[in-house]
Amino acid sequence: MFIDFFYRLREQGVPVSPTAFLTLNRALHSGLIENIDDFYLAARSILVKSERYFDLYDQVFTCHFEGFPLPPNEGLILDEIARQMLQQWLQNPGATARMLDEDEEHLQKLSVDELLAYFMERLKEQKGEHHGGSKWIGTGGTSPVGHTGYHPGGMRIGGESIGKSALKVATDRRYRDYSGKGPLTEAKIGEALKRLRKLVPAGARDRINIDKTITRTVRIGGEIELVFEQGLKDRLKVILAIDNGGWSMDPHVKIVQTLFDYARAQFKDMKTFYFHNTIYDTLWKDPARSQKPYSVDELTRLDPETRFIILGDASMAPFELSTRDGSIHIQERNGRTSIECLKFIAKTFSHTAWLNPIQENMWGYSRTIAMVQQVFPMFELSLDGLEKAVSHLAE
Amino acid sequence: MIDQANSFSGGRQYVLDSELAQIVNVSMVLEMPLLLKGEPGTGKTMLAHAIAENLKMELIVLNVKSSMKLIDALYQYDTLTRLNDSRFGDSNRNVSNINEYIKMSKIGQAFTTEQRVVLLIDEIDKADTDFQDDMLDILDQMQFDIIETDETVHAKKRPVIIITSNAKKDLSDPFLGRCNFHHIAFPDPKMMRKIVGVHFPGLDEKLAKDAISTFYKLREIEGIEKRPATRELINWLRALAADPDFKAGKMIGKEVPFLGILFKKSSDYEKTAGLYGQGKS
Repeated sequence: MFIDFFYRLREQGVPVSPTAFLTLNRALHSGLIENIDDFYLAARSILVKSERYFDLYDQVFTCHFEGFPLPPNEGLILDEIARQMLQQWLQNPGATARMLDEDEEHLQKLSVDELLAYFMERLKEQKGEHHGGSKWIGTGGTSPVGHTGYHPGGMRIGGESIGKSALKVATDRRYRDYSGKGPLTEAKIGEALKRLRKLVPAGARDRINIDKTITRTVRIGGEIELVFEQGLKDRLKVILAIDNGGWSMDPHVKIVQTLFDYARAQFKDMKTFYFHNTIYDTLWKDPARSQKPYSVDELTRLDPETRFIILGDASMAPFELSTRDGSIHIQERNGRTSIECLKFIAKTFSHTAWLNPIQENMWGYSRTIAMVQQVFPMFELSLDGLEKAVSHLAE
Repeated sequence: MIDQANSFSGGRQYVLDSELAQIVNVSMVLEMPLLLKGEPGTGKTMLAHAIAENLKMELIVLNVKSSMKLIDALYQYDTLTRLNDSRFGDSNRNVSNINEYIKMSKIGQAFTTEQRVVLLIDEIDKADTDFQDDMLDILDQMQFDIIETDETVHAKKRPVIIITSNAKKDLSDPFLGRCNFHHIAFPDPKMMRKIVGVHFPGLDEKLAKDAISTFYKLREIEGIEKRPATRELINWLRALAADPDFKAGKMIGKEVPFLGILFKKSSDYEKTAGLYGQGKS
């Protein structure tokens, strides 16, 4: 029963398992489900395991049982790319227009919504004709953020082109193998974690070692002697700051999060923050970087013994690091350059490390990596690098 | 069919939407644990209490801690007492009988009671993934082994299992696969009025309306780290009702008294105090 419904959910990306589906059928036979409302609820609680998918479930449900059309499928990912394009457009309309082979004047007249719609159109068109090299991303690797340009905040953009501009990576993305060939794959996580455990110090001697107690007790003729040992109670505090902003980081963020999710159990206190490209005066507690800001200055309130681990590719336009108000986000304006903020963090915590998913032999090609390296000890996000980072942090 | 006496409709101190009641019933019939997720203060824990009260079952609460090992949740083998007894021999326990030194922990208790109980596993997300997966194995099979005596404990009556999670961490897929899932959204103002009504039956209507609308306004302030939840609202109302100087109707948009009850983090408190003036705190 309802097999179509099941498959439609799957098609739309709700992760439903066959087992859950069988459970649903069991529920149907229990006699507890008498009408469509009951079914809606029961099916949701059994099939959908995260509130993230509630909305999608609702859409599929209304489509399947009430015939409402589903919203267009390409939805999210294209939408995200279009937004990126918009951001680039805002930063440098001229280059973006040239790239799209469009008249800048014409695009200037469009409202933000119209622009987004236009970008979406272009992206859909783009599907399928991309393979032989793109016709609308400028030849010769011209980056749209490249040249001196115009910014709505009145800022001048200086400097040379960035290795990976968001737009270029974004369009590549749709054709990429999703298997995620980072230098650190999930299979290696267990191994990596064993290394992270080196970080865990032993706490007070407050645990009874039963075996030793018995041995000792027997040895002294039955007079009970309790042997205490250190437990693993008092654990290290760790802060992990992840660059989850750019597309360049995208393939790596998930793997890193999985890694640290497992690691979290090991540490008494583990905080995760997010940032985009580099850190200004705010870190974000929510991955969307919009709801829960955390001021960098507040970091001083934390234990200076906290291990501060930054994870990012450190690849960005140099102005983002070295110019005052260099952030590509308009709301982050505090008059301090990012590199100063980074130095501030490095000074606040005695143990820091920067993990970089880019392979070490490529670091020389990015100026910003070199700049960041002067502030933080940088390690490659690989088994090897991680081990080095861990031993550095454990000092 | 589930008979009326054994199905669930809501407790005295808990306002339940019919949606949740239906899901609880489905989970009971399917004999699957119900996983409740939601913001702190949306009444996840209270729900278990309400179910227990409503079904007239005993409630056993397992508060999960981050350092907890699965075995701690099942049973405890009291080696120290045994060692002591063997040394001094002044107790009535038989030292050679290990069973005398095995004590059931929460899950063990839930399995061994004669009556069907509600087992609340609170804040499962605090524990690590291994703990979660292993525990579900046990809840699936409704049995576990006591290593020391090589005995297997079977559940006499399958408990009604409620698991709560604050959504701090994502739970593993196998774990989710074995649970029914419900996400408790933060109640809307209308629902909140009902909840307040349950806690304060005779509350002044105007005060309630004022307080709730102010409460929702405060919740919306940008950049608040820990937004006040139902629990804070209830405490706040209690304070307001007890304050003889306070008159309903004067707080909209102006001074909000007792902000400290609503905002527990100093940075949040300062932020809101800056916005809504300093009444009494």
